[in-house]
Amino acid sequence: MDGSSIAVFWLAYTFGIHIILVNIGIALSVLVPYLKYRAKKNNDQALLNFSYKLMRFYAATYGVAGVYATAFTVFLLSFYPNFLGIAGNIALMPFAIAILLIVVHFTAITTYYYGWNRLSDKAHNIAGIFLAISALLIPLGFRAVFAFLNTPKGLYFDGTVARLDLTEALTNPTLLPLYLKSIVASLTAGLILVTGYAAVKYYKTSDDSYRNALKSVVDRGVPWALAGLGLMLILGLWYTLSLRVVEYKFNNIFGPLGWKVGDGTVAFNLSWLLIIKLILYAAQVYLVYVAYTSIKKSGFLSRKEASNLLFAGMLALVTIVLGEYLNAFSQYPYFIADVTDPKIIQSIPPEVLPYLANALNLTNVNTLATLTLVQILTIGFMSFLSLATLYFFYIYFKEK
Amino acid sequence: MEWGIYPAAADRLLSFIGIAVHWSILQYVVGLPLLAFVAELLYLKTGDQKWLKIAKTIVKGFIIVFAVGAATGTASEFGLVLLWPNLTQAAGNYIYFPLYAEVFAFLMEVVFIYMLWYGWEKLPKKVHVIVMLFALIGPWFSAAMIVSVNSYMVAPTGLEPAYDPATGQWLFDQGYPKLLLAVPTDYANILNVTLLQQLGMEVVGQDGGVVLVKMPIRIIERLVYEAWHGYTVQDSILKLVIKPEYLNQDVLNTPVMAILDAILKATVNYVGVTTVTFKSPVYLGSILHVVGSAITVSSFTVLAAYAMRKLQLRRKGVKNGEYYEYVDTFFKFAAIFALVAIVLQGTVFGHLMGTEIAEYNPEKFAAMEGTSQSIFSISRAFGLEKLMAFLGYGSFDAHLPNYDEIPKDYCVCSVTHDQDLARIGDCRPPLFLHYVYYTKIGLAILSGLFVLGVAYYLFVKKTELPEMLLKLALPFAIIIQAVSWMGWVVREVGRKPWTIYGVMTPDVAHTFNPAPTSLVALVAVFFIVILGILAYAVWKFLWLPGKEEVGMEVS
Repeated sequence: MDGSSIAVFWLAYTFGIHIILVNIGIALSVLVPYLKYRAKKNNDQALLNFSYKLMRFYAATYGVAGVYATAFTVFLLSFYPNFLGIAGNIALMPFAIAILLIVVHFTAITTYYYGWNRLSDKAHNIAGIFLAISALLIPLGFRAVFAFLNTPKGLYFDGTVARLDLTEALTNPTLLPLYLKSIVASLTAGLILVTGYAAVKYYKTSDDSYRNALKSVVDRGVPWALAGLGLMLILGLWYTLSLRVVEYKFNNIFGPLGWKVGDGTVAFNLSWLLIIKLILYAAQVYLVYVAYTSIKKSGFLSRKEASNLLFAGMLALVTIVLGEYLNAFSQYPYFIADVTDPKIIQSIPPEVLPYLANALNLTNVNTLATLTLVQILTIGFMSFLSLATLYFFYIYFKEK
Repeated sequence: MEWGIYPAAADRLLSFIGIAVHWSILQYVVGLPLLAFVAELLYLKTGDQKWLKIAKTIVKGFIIVFAVGAATGTASEFGLVLLWPNLTQAAGNYIYFPLYAEVFAFLMEVVFIYMLWYGWEKLPKKVHVIVMLFALIGPWFSAAMIVSVNSYMVAPTGLEPAYDPATGQWLFDQGYPKLLLAVPTDYANILNVTLLQQLGMEVVGQDGGVVLVKMPIRIIERLVYEAWHGYTVQDSILKLVIKPEYLNQDVLNTPVMAILDAILKATVNYVGVTTVTFKSPVYLGSILHVVGSAITVSSFTVLAAYAMRKLQLRRKGVKNGEYYEYVDTFFKFAAIFALVAIVLQGTVFGHLMGTEIAEYNPEKFAAMEGTSQSIFSISRAFGLEKLMAFLGYGSFDAHLPNYDEIPKDYCVCSVTHDQDLARIGDCRPPLFLHYVYYTKIGLAILSGLFVLGVAYYLFVKKTELPEMLLKLALPFAIIIQAVSWMGWVVREVGRKPWTIYGVMTPDVAHTFNPAPTSLVALVAVFFIVILGILAYAVWKFLWLPGKEEVGMEVS
């Protein structure tokens, strides 16, 4: 493997795990306060127990999600320090929004989790609102950065110093569809996963009140999950249309399928990844639809359909990860997809152009970071720690 | 105010607040797992449930503060990237390895800490102890990595200081401080070595494709400034030291960054890519001092918590029973840790750290000792100068460095003197450090005497502690945290005007696009409010459930 392949592999690996956990987290941050509110309102102890179980899972995995994000940042720093230097200088505000909200979210998790049964209902619900809102808003900052990496709207040069006009950056045509698509995907995948888990648990418990609570979660959740999948289609199309301004990226995804913009050059064919993603999406739609019709016709899912619904939730998470990879790699080898656009090139002062071209290219890796010794250590540690992460999940779900 | 002399005052203050919060929390993240590990070992050995409860209680506290620490650490990390992106870029390019390896440590912390908690009832005892060991190794491994980077920033590997304690002479006029650089032969060949030697550079050897030189830091600092400001050789001081026959258009158009990058990469390769930061001359003392500080602070905090429990029991007239035994054992356990930790910290780790600073950061040492006539010096007033010189340099004949003899511009290149001095402000560290340092030492001694008093009653006199001593435990838990914090202030603020000593100043490290001061102030207030909420949450969720009436510490 060459240097850039090593770098890209580790970035993709850590980002993938982070994305899976973070999407579960966003969904749980919204679902748990809602379920708990409903349980309290209806005096449903079984539903309360279920929502606490979900919160406990989130509290236990939030740190794991965070640490994989840190790993991603540090790999980025080590393999592409010049890019990170540029990003740090330009993207202060979008990142700052995300960081401040991360701190709020963390405080909300602590308060909500440890405050369960300790705070008054009102105070706890307020903490729940903060938990949900912060979870929904954190991605806005990060998605603003991703949208900037699509096309650097709002970027100006003051002499040789790059500056970002935040207002203009927020009007990036790819930002809103990307953000909304991400949020709806999180909520939908989380909902499928939670309803699937509840359906499977339904068959494993003998406690009638708990079964009723689980059934109500499935009954109410599945239609929303189906609606979320429908909405995903619309938002996906919107994001696709918005990407037409980013020709390089658009053509790499859709060009081989016959949908091209600009000169239609396909530099790095990733249409196969889009096709896999669409197949997985179709499978989810099918499985969730089957669950929906079963509820309508028979009152509840069969044992097999319950397992299939849980499987659909897992597929949804995999689909999200593939979507992220598609979004990121379709601009390979550039950090900013639009950097090859002549208009963008013309806006960059010629004296900084060579440096930027070098720093924004993923094939230019910090050679000190790809030394064999370092990579052997990385493989060893990451294997051990990935297995330990799996073992942790095993311990977590293991019955006493 | 001396704070404002140096560049980027507002962003330094914001970073100061963020990292100070993180520093306070990480004392527990690094310190508590050792206490928990020992308690669990004692449980494994004795089978006494008391030790299991103690271990569980510590782990519970550990998990909560770890989670808070992870959040503040993430904020600090992003703060570093956003406020000091050029420092981040430099670190990522040349001293990335410990940061990279810290990821493994952080992963280890997270996974094993959670496993620790959720595995109490699910793992066999011995396996759980192994998990506990990993949960202890994680934070220490993490500390070892981060402290190595910080040590490098305090005293980079290959640093030659500018002070001779035997004569009491500063060596600035001979070009010191200097830093070892490995210059690729291709670059060395085009340089006018004679001229560079006149500027203080020394050629110390040749190794493979590099020429080893000791370069005055005032030249390195200037080159770093030029590199990050997009200079080419045409406008650089390099133009003055390149042999005329090589000054063609290609060379003149070469970015200084490209040349500096080649030199720094060659230097790191020569010293050791994975070891360069660990070879910092202040690393050993630093890591021992940091871990020692964490254990001391953690022990004092646990001691205070159980002193308060003891007071509660005393007021209720409880003198025996399971809960009483548990509280009493926990208190003694914490007292032993506190005593051993503070003694080691003061006599071994702190001393080692002090000698390293005295040797490699003499300017900072001069400020710490307040050897200036312009201020009231505590060491001078109490006649401690000879003693401090002995402690710093191992000889009563040694001299403390004289602050007043440090030129304000020793870090500035003579060619670009005025421009560089204007942006850096002052090459000397701030003198208020003297008071911070001596307050720290004074409070540390008081804390030591306090815990000695506790130990005397517990283990020599073997009687109940006087109520006053129990009441003092809480203030001393706060004081010892303040001592640790002041130590960190001395280390970090004392490095000014440097971000990386001898290499990079804050104006270069700083973002080219700073946020408005009002926004920085808002963010600072935000962090302080959040910290307040978190502190309240920790108190409410950690302290209150431990009260006897609520139940035994961990159910």
